[in-house]
Order: sequence, then C-alpha cells, then structure tokens
Amino acid sequence: MRRTRSARSRSWLCRLTMIGVIIGWTTGASGAPITVTTALPVAEGEFMVREQIIFNHGDSDPKTKARERTARTIVSVLAYGVNSDLAVFAVVPYVSKSLKAGASAIGRHADGLGDMKIFGRYTLFKNNFNGGSFRIAPVAGLKIPTGNSNRRDALGRLPISVQPGSGSWDPFGGVVITYQTLDFQIDAAISYTVNTGANSTANGFKFGDVSRLDGSFQYRLWPGKLGSGTPGFLYGVLEANLVHQQNNHVNGIEDAGSGGTRLFLVPGLQYVTRRWIAEAAIQLPVMQNLNGMALRDHYTARAGLRFNF
Amino acid sequence: MMKIIQKTGLAFILMLSLSMAALTAPKIYALKVDGLACPFCAFGIEKRLGKIAGVSRLRTDIKAGRIILTMKDGAVLDPATAKRAVKQAGFSLRALEQIRPPAQAPAKAVAKKPSL
Repeated sequence: MRRTRSARSRSWLCRLTMIGVIIGWTTGASGAPITVTTALPVAEGEFMVREQIIFNHGDSDPKTKARERTARTIVSVLAYGVNSDLAVFAVVPYVSKSLKAGASAIGRHADGLGDMKIFGRYTLFKNNFNGGSFRIAPVAGLKIPTGNSNRRDALGRLPISVQPGSGSWDPFGGVVITYQTLDFQIDAAISYTVNTGANSTANGFKFGDVSRLDGSFQYRLWPGKLGSGTPGFLYGVLEANLVHQQNNHVNGIEDAGSGGTRLFLVPGLQYVTRRWIAEAAIQLPVMQNLNGMALRDHYTARAGLRFNF
Repeated sequence: MMKIIQKTGLAFILMLSLSMAALTAPKIYALKVDGLACPFCAFGIEKRLGKIAGVSRLRTDIKAGRIILTMKDGAVLDPATAKRAVKQAGFSLRALEQIRPPAQAPAKAVAKKPSL
C-alpha cells in the first residue's frame, strides 16, 4: 500500500513540477508570447506587472479516473529594467492543488504561496531596424523555496506533489531569441532547470532536471492595415512547448517510473495596447511519452493581463 | 502725416508680436526610431522621452516608426538627451529633426443626418 501511494505521489510530482516550470518560464513582461519569455526590452528604470491565472487538469486514465488532479495558480510577475540591456524579474505564484485518488476518491488539498523565482535577462545581441528588432538574450535565475513543503492534513503529511512548495533551491538558465516586426513576432527559447533537492523537507526526494524548448509565433490579425497613431493590436498566437524531465531520485536512487517527455501546442489570442495586454490561451498536449504511472495532462487554460507603469 | 506714422507704428507692432509668437511657439520634433514594432513597446519609449525636461506632448506613429515630440513654450530638445532616452528604452534613434507645426486645418462641415 505504501509503495503504491509512493508511486502515485511521484507520478504527481512529475506533473506538478512541470506546471511549476511552465509558470516559471511564462514571465516575459514586454512582448507577446504567452507561455514563453521574450527578449524584448524593459525600459531603464521602468516597471511592468503581469498577472496570470492558470488552471491545469489531468488524470491517470480518462476512463477510470483512478487519480485526478487539478491545480489552480495565480502568478504575479514584476519586471524592472536595470538598464536597456538588463532586466530583472520576480515571479510569485499562489497555488491551490487538489488530488483525488482511489475508488473512495479521497481528496488531498493544499493552497498557499508557492516557490518564488527571480531571474535576470541580459540582451547579448540586438539589431533594431525600421519596424522591427532581432534580439538574443541569455536568462539565468533561481527558484527559491518560499512555499511550504511540509503541509499536513488529517491523513498526515501531504504528498509532495500537493505541497505548495518544493523545498529546494533550483537554479535555471537559458537563451531566448526574438524576431519582431509590425506584422508578426517569433520567439524561441531553450532552458534547463537543475532541481537540486537541497534543503528539501521531502525526505531525500529530488525532482528530475527539466530541459525545454519553446517556440511562439504571433501574427497581427487586426488591424489588417496600419494607419497612423498607435492602435491596439489583436494577435493570433500559436506556441509549442517541448518539455523533458529526467527521472526523480528518492534517497539518491533513481526512480525509473518518473519523468518523461511532453509536447504541447498552445493556440491563443492576445490584445496589445500601449498600457496593457490581455491574453488567453489553452495548452493542449499532443504527445506525452511518460515513464511509469505519471499522470497525463488534459489541458492547461491560461488568462492574463500585463500592465505598463 | 500723422495717419502714416500711426499706420507704420501699427504695422511694426503687428510684425513684432508675430515674430515674438513665432519665437516662443512650442518647438515640435520628429524622432525616427528603429526597433519600434508593437504598442506595448511604444509606451516604454514614451515614458523615457516624457521624462526629458520641457517635453509636453508625445505622439507615436508606430507604422512609420516615428514619434512626434512637442516641447513646452521656449524649451528646446537636446539631440544627445533624446538619443540617450531612446537607448534607455532599448531602441535606436535613427534621425531627429525639428518640424513646423501643421497648419490649423479648417473645421469640417458636418453633414446632418436627416431626421426620420
């Protein structure tokens, strides 16, 4: 019984770690991509804020629904332009996670402040031209264990997958490339997260490292022809996320029944004005090659706002 | 003779006031900016330019990549300051020129809808 619960817990971990990683990478405050960051600038000495609501649903088997999970997250992002090339970001999630497992559908639930992320983005190369820009910017940061990773309920300590925090300090880094014109924008990003397990309260548990490749294409749908002034732009957005997670480790031993590779497609819409951006997208799994009993994603719905101050 | 002196004096005063008005009229500049391609980015550059002392109004024409900047009466835009502000926003200043304010367009006659 204990082994079964442990396996379920670990498969959950895999899913929720990915949610965390997705949240962490959706922090572009300046441009149009929704699930990817961007290399577009944050003006020196200026702030931007992004608020995003994310709803994720998945289960072990769509027919039996033996295990079902939902995760609701509100992500707040604050961006600050240190200078025209360097911007720093703080990402604070508030999470609400639920897991129903077994025939009796026992529910475990937790909510609270999740793990905060801070990172910096430096524009290594930029080519500004008439009506567009091409930029390459490395990104590096750290996930800080600000979320509680030792929550309990009447049944005892919650599975680590339901805990609001991971309990570990995890560095991450990557590169983002952006090509923007008046008609369309393309963003591509590659990133790697080292899940350390350091200071974890999860009894020797360590998530597998996560590598991901993201792409975003945004096309201006309206206005079809640009006139004078600065009208709002309606973009159609299509993004793709390829996410691979290595096996988790329990007390130093690799868990072969964890980790795996997922590919998501993300259609969405975005309305961009001078002062604010409103956006919505749905992240749909098109390939889930998972190890062991990992839970499969059904969808992740996202809606958000960004503000220029 | 008095009439000629009076007319000459009036003409002189009129010319002087017109010259003074031209001298103190707000100066308007056109900034051609590279890298400008979305409304959200445009606001970033407007914020930086708006912090320059003496700037009273900004208008961005995103298609042309042009920002029309109006100064307060008597204020002058320093090109180096403008270039720095554009760079601080992450963009590149390609050209800056002082332009004349557009002539006041005559009010258009609006056709009234026939009442039903």
